[in-house]
Amino acid sequence: MVRDDDPGLNPAPARMPGAATRARAFVTRGVTWLQQPWPAPPAALRRGPLHTGIFTSRLRSPRLTSQLGIALAAGFTICFVTGLVSHLIQHPPSWFWWPSRPIGLYRITQGLHVATGLATIPLLGVKLWSVYPRLFSWPPARSLAHAIERASIATLVAAALFQLISGTLNIARWYGPMPFFFTAGHYWSAWLAVGALLVHIGVKLPIIRAALTHAAPERTRPGGLTRRGLLATAGGAAGVITLGTVGQTVAPLSRISVLAPRRPNVGPQHLPVNKTAAGAGVRDLAMDPAYRLIVAGPGRRVSLSLADLNGLEQHTAILPISCVEGWSSTATWTGVRLRDLVALAGVDPDDAETYIESLEAHGRYRATTVPPPHTRDPLTLIALHLYGEPLHPDHGYPARLIAPNRPGVLQTKWIGRITPRSTS
Amino acid sequence: MTAARRGLVTIGAVGMGYAVLGALTDADIKPFGVLIFLAGVLVAHDAILLPMVIGVGAIAGRFLPGSARTPVRVASVISLAVCVVALPLVLGYGRSADNPSALPLAYGTGLVEVLAAVWGAALLAVVVRARRDPAPRTSTRIRAGDARPERPPESGRAKQ
Repeated sequence: MVRDDDPGLNPAPARMPGAATRARAFVTRGVTWLQQPWPAPPAALRRGPLHTGIFTSRLRSPRLTSQLGIALAAGFTICFVTGLVSHLIQHPPSWFWWPSRPIGLYRITQGLHVATGLATIPLLGVKLWSVYPRLFSWPPARSLAHAIERASIATLVAAALFQLISGTLNIARWYGPMPFFFTAGHYWSAWLAVGALLVHIGVKLPIIRAALTHAAPERTRPGGLTRRGLLATAGGAAGVITLGTVGQTVAPLSRISVLAPRRPNVGPQHLPVNKTAAGAGVRDLAMDPAYRLIVAGPGRRVSLSLADLNGLEQHTAILPISCVEGWSSTATWTGVRLRDLVALAGVDPDDAETYIESLEAHGRYRATTVPPPHTRDPLTLIALHLYGEPLHPDHGYPARLIAPNRPGVLQTKWIGRITPRSTS
Repeated sequence: MTAARRGLVTIGAVGMGYAVLGALTDADIKPFGVLIFLAGVLVAHDAILLPMVIGVGAIAGRFLPGSARTPVRVASVISLAVCVVALPLVLGYGRSADNPSALPLAYGTGLVEVLAAVWGAALLAVVVRARRDPAPRTSTRIRAGDARPERPPESGRAKQ
């Protein structure tokens, strides 16, 4: 396919400029080929919604679509960044670093992730309504380039719906309709959605710019729903959804959030639970009087009974449990500082990370690594008490991790073994 | 195409490629399951939900008196969005017997309360509009409307 661009005219061995010219010509030929018009399909196929004038609403306009698009892009950006942060905390690559302060940072980023995702639902709904007639544009594809663009839009719509619906199902803990592991599916689909969104913005940029810089005349009937009215409706729906659910992390609003999947003060010892002791299969091991916590440093190994742990210096910290599902609740924890236990095993707590294992035999979250900032932090506790009482079995009796600024799923419960490692 | 547009399309395409590659190499992912769900939500939305919404909107437009049309449309959009969020909670398949702190509320009641607030506000808007503009909307009324442009109806913006 690739022919020489100008045979004979430039016999000198082609250096960079020649190669660049050839490459450009190749690209131009490729683009021309992509844009080669396709034959129109027979008009007899143009039925139902494919007819012109079947969609009659005068509310639809590029301006409406662009304004909703900007709001959606903002929402998806917030969700993507906060989601990526949460992913990196749970699967940290070597370059990633997450501080232990401020203690409530993760509660804010993850609360924002879920609240923004929920509020985005009506915006996406109205946005897709505003461009629905374009789904039936005729001819369905004018060229290969047009077909690819339409496929990328289908990908964007599918991935955006995927994100919002799978997220909504996840906070309702309803995994039946999702034939995949939620966390991984939601993560990779997020990349798909954001990638397709960037392509979409790149393709539509001139239309967006024109729609936003030139005020369009209002074409709706007096007294009918206007463009601003519809935008306010979408915003109103987002507001109702937010008020209905955000109390799961903003405690003062919990009484009016009648659709919140959690209430911050409802659960054993006034604290919600995600995984119960029975569900984790640790009830017997956790309640066994022969329980010992093993702290195994490179040079020294300590075995501590619950009485031994209670005999060590106790500290109290007020820290939130912040779930990846967007709920959070602040509680008062008492126990031994993790850094004290690290020191007990002969490791310098100012320069160490800690591997913490649960009594659970299986489970994706049975073990976790506490990075140096959190190992060092005096607020990081191996908690034995919650609000002054021994931990409820569902909160991790006899001992659990509670560290500042950390996802709840990494606050290991029913701890059986602690392995500090020096990082210096 | 300007450089900015080319840049956006290129970065976006790389992002999409990363997503496909990542999903295919992630041991936790069953690509077929993800694909099914992607296609499922797309078809459910474009072929079922949206045609239904447009159909109901058209029916409302035909049969409702003029003063009720906009508040009913606004309240319907808000109700539908709230129902999407509430449905999995109301169905309650995520409840587990040993963990009453997960999904602790009566979500059916909660949904009814929210919808009552939304439709209460819509009803109020209908009454206010009917009083302000008592006769049925005819061509002469539209002339009056032209002379005195009405504010966009935002009364359906329900609050708690």
